Amino acid sequence: MSDLKITKLHKHYGAFHAVKGIDLDVPEGEFTVLVGPSGCGKSTLLRTIAGLEEASSGKVEIGGRDVTWARPRDRDIAMVFQNYALYPYLNVKDNIAFGLRARKFAEPEVERRVTRAAEMLGIAHLLARFPRELSGGQRQRVAIGRAIVRDAILYLFDEPLSNLDAQLRDDMRVEIKRLHQEMGRTMIYVTHDQIEAMTLADRIVLLRDGMIEQQGSPLDLFERPATRFVAGFLGSPKMNFIPATATASGVKLTDGTELALPAARPLKPGQAVVLGLRPQYIAMAGPTLAPGHARVPVTIELVQPTGSRVQATMPLGGTSIVAELAAHDVSRPGEKTEIDIDMTRAVIIDPETEKVL
Amino acid sequence: MSALPFHRRHGTRLALRYLIALVLVVIFVFPVYWLFIISFKTPDEIFASPPVWYPQSIQFANYRVLFKDGDAATVGNSLILASVSTFFAMILGTMAAYSLARFKTGGENLAVWIISQRMMPPVAIVFPLFLLYVWLGWVDTYFGLILLYTAFSLPYVIWMMRGYIEDIPLELEESALVDGCTRWEVLWKVVLPMARSGLFATAVFTFIFAWNDFLFALVLTRTEVTTYTVQVTHYFGGQSNFWAKIAAMSVLGTIPVFFTVAVMQRYLVRGISMGAVKG
Amino acid sequence: MTAKALHPDRNFKYWLIAPAIFLLLLIGLFPLFYSLVVSFMRIDMMDTDTSFAGLYNYKNLFTDDRLWWSLAHTLLITVIALPIELVLGLAMAYLFLERMPGRQVFIALLVLPTIISPIVAGATWRLMFDNKYGPINQIISWVWGERVNALWTINPSLVYPAIIFCEVWQWTPFMFLILLAALSNVDKSQTEAAEIDGASFFRTFRYIVLPAIWPVMAIAILIRGLDLFRIFDIIWALTQGGPGTRTETISIYTYVQGFKQFETSYTAAIAFLVILLLTVICTWAIRRMGLVK
Repeated sequence: MSDLKITKLHKHYGAFHAVKGIDLDVPEGEFTVLVGPSGCGKSTLLRTIAGLEEASSGKVEIGGRDVTWARPRDRDIAMVFQNYALYPYLNVKDNIAFGLRARKFAEPEVERRVTRAAEMLGIAHLLARFPRELSGGQRQRVAIGRAIVRDAILYLFDEPLSNLDAQLRDDMRVEIKRLHQEMGRTMIYVTHDQIEAMTLADRIVLLRDGMIEQQGSPLDLFERPATRFVAGFLGSPKMNFIPATATASGVKLTDGTELALPAARPLKPGQAVVLGLRPQYIAMAGPTLAPGHARVPVTIELVQPTGSRVQATMPLGGTSIVAELAAHDVSRPGEKTEIDIDMTRAVIIDPETEKVL
Repeated sequence: MSALPFHRRHGTRLALRYLIALVLVVIFVFPVYWLFIISFKTPDEIFASPPVWYPQSIQFANYRVLFKDGDAATVGNSLILASVSTFFAMILGTMAAYSLARFKTGGENLAVWIISQRMMPPVAIVFPLFLLYVWLGWVDTYFGLILLYTAFSLPYVIWMMRGYIEDIPLELEESALVDGCTRWEVLWKVVLPMARSGLFATAVFTFIFAWNDFLFALVLTRTEVTTYTVQVTHYFGGQSNFWAKIAAMSVLGTIPVFFTVAVMQRYLVRGISMGAVKG
Repeated sequence: MTAKALHPDRNFKYWLIAPAIFLLLLIGLFPLFYSLVVSFMRIDMMDTDTSFAGLYNYKNLFTDDRLWWSLAHTLLITVIALPIELVLGLAMAYLFLERMPGRQVFIALLVLPTIISPIVAGATWRLMFDNKYGPINQIISWVWGERVNALWTINPSLVYPAIIFCEVWQWTPFMFLILLAALSNVDKSQTEAAEIDGASFFRTFRYIVLPAIWPVMAIAILIRGLDLFRIFDIIWALTQGGPGTRTETISIYTYVQGFKQFETSYTAAIAFLVILLLTVICTWAIRRMGLVK
């Protein structure tokens, strides 16, 4: 049985159409991430699931029950907010217990659950403190604690890590992933950060302009993007897009470079296409050319080290591309060298429809 | 050249500021002192020329008379009318303010209509109200005056509380909704605690408005619920005034307000500045 | 559609505001409506003629000298007292802007006049101004060198100074408090930058401080202006509008017409005129001060 089922959901704000007919089915226990650029409607969608916004039309079912017009309290959900939403006049313990007390849980049970949640999150020693006495990371843990003490069908996260600094964000991401594994509950997580989406999700739902652009496992979306938008949104550094023309056996770049495509694609020779290459699938030329790879001479223009890897910028096919290379085999800027491109992973996009062919 | 004189002048400047401050305090506080001092004077001291600047002994005969004649009960009336009406105005006003702040009920037009009610001159509405009250039998009743004070305070309470409520992060309320609170519980458990200091400041000012009222009480009370402000004017005479009674009654009516303001001081300072900024 | 209508929170916002609206309509709108109806009749102490009298009462307004004089008195008090309160309050706010030991005590003492009831303020000054036993004449006598016997609340040329003195005494602290709060909120780096640039005090005030405090100052002026326009208590305690009708303000006159002369219909017409005037002045002032965008 699915824990969340959304059918033909629309949301208008006056003339603005924020959510345009979304259908979504989230099975029990899955970690679903709603991701997309700002203004794509992901937060609106989450808030409509929570009942904080009213649907303009369509249907929302949680745990098999139609809750489209139910109040938030009757939906059996728990939610973590972007700005933590801690009550400044309550201490940590009372903050975590707030939802249980609102639902008239017996005090010994409240005590038991709060203690357990606090231990899970490593904030048991902070229970008597007030929110203003906590650091950003601690506040975030309390906010999560307030959600996980509850026995909800659905746990909603609205960009919970966006106010933390980079280091803390990494730690908390691990924490949330671990919580999901321990609890095995259905979670829906909104973020604009594609790395968060890739690392946390069982399934990514990528939204654009109020519609679902593509959904599937992180690897699915990374390897087999359906559109240029998906291909460009996921992955860091971003995918390289090079204008090209289809030939009988592959593609031809504007500078005359011909690249063979190992698998047959539905291309008409002479058709204009865009070649998408992930920086991760470009390497320095090795002793032998692996099957399905293409070797191209280039001149390295710019080198940005990131530790064990470097991002090298080089001109190719009339544009500038980025390759992520191992640090030890990178040359200095200006050096002429050769690169191997894994053409089995190449993405061919129709520039008219922006769809992947 | 310029650094040295600056330092030398600093001390003189501070002394000058103190001097002006002291003169101001004397000017603004002396009348209050005079009022208090007369209330403790004997008739001989009151009617002395040149006046007695400070009494030889403190005596409470002037107050004793007020309590013996029952005049002091008017302070009790003021206390009942002002506190009960403040209580109701705060409840109804906060509810309405929440509706305006969070749901934009009636749009900006309703909000402007409500504040425009505050500009209504009391003298323009007191006459028709008097006729209405006579017809309904509400003249000289607690109910009638409490109703009037409550209604008259509402625009102020709504306007102030709307500002305070708008400052509360919306996420706190949404979080409570998801956690299982009803709308009423959100109001009670989240909004009220969050708006506490604003609530207190507004309540004190509302209390003072009702406490200070003279015109409504003058018109709508007779003998049963006479307020202390009306009682004070009963001692004015064409030829001679009952000075001792005027002073003692005024002091009785001033002490509760001094007390309230002193206790609530820390909320008031913020209330004044924030309220003024928000309008 | 039915499910939507049954949404439990649907009418919550209306339930919240309904009681307040009901009370405001009862106390605010009823009198307005009543006055409008009655002002077109001819009801007074002798006569309860409820037939339609047309603009009879409104025509009388124009030939009623006492009414226009009361309006003039009101304006006179307002245009003198308001600027004094503003300038004095501002000066005091500047005096206490910088820290000095005992500042809080000074401020607390200075606020005393504002928190006592206006009727008590009037009564207090009645005691202060008493020609024989009051301290004011005594102090003036010392300065003058011989016994002065000024009849502050009776002498036609002294009543206005007395009223305005009392009014200014009570409400300058109010201006002071609000302006002090506003001045404290002015961005210090801006005034310091101006000081380094060598701008004079008045230049800094005009171009940096005034624009910053104006929203607050405008509201303070509006509040005090409105209160001064309906001034009643202080005058009632000091002079009751006397000598004769010399200090009768619009509020006092309306009260006298309604409750001393029982001119029901005529009072309703005056009340309507007052509301009209106030609405016009307020709308103009709010626009003029830039309080509405």
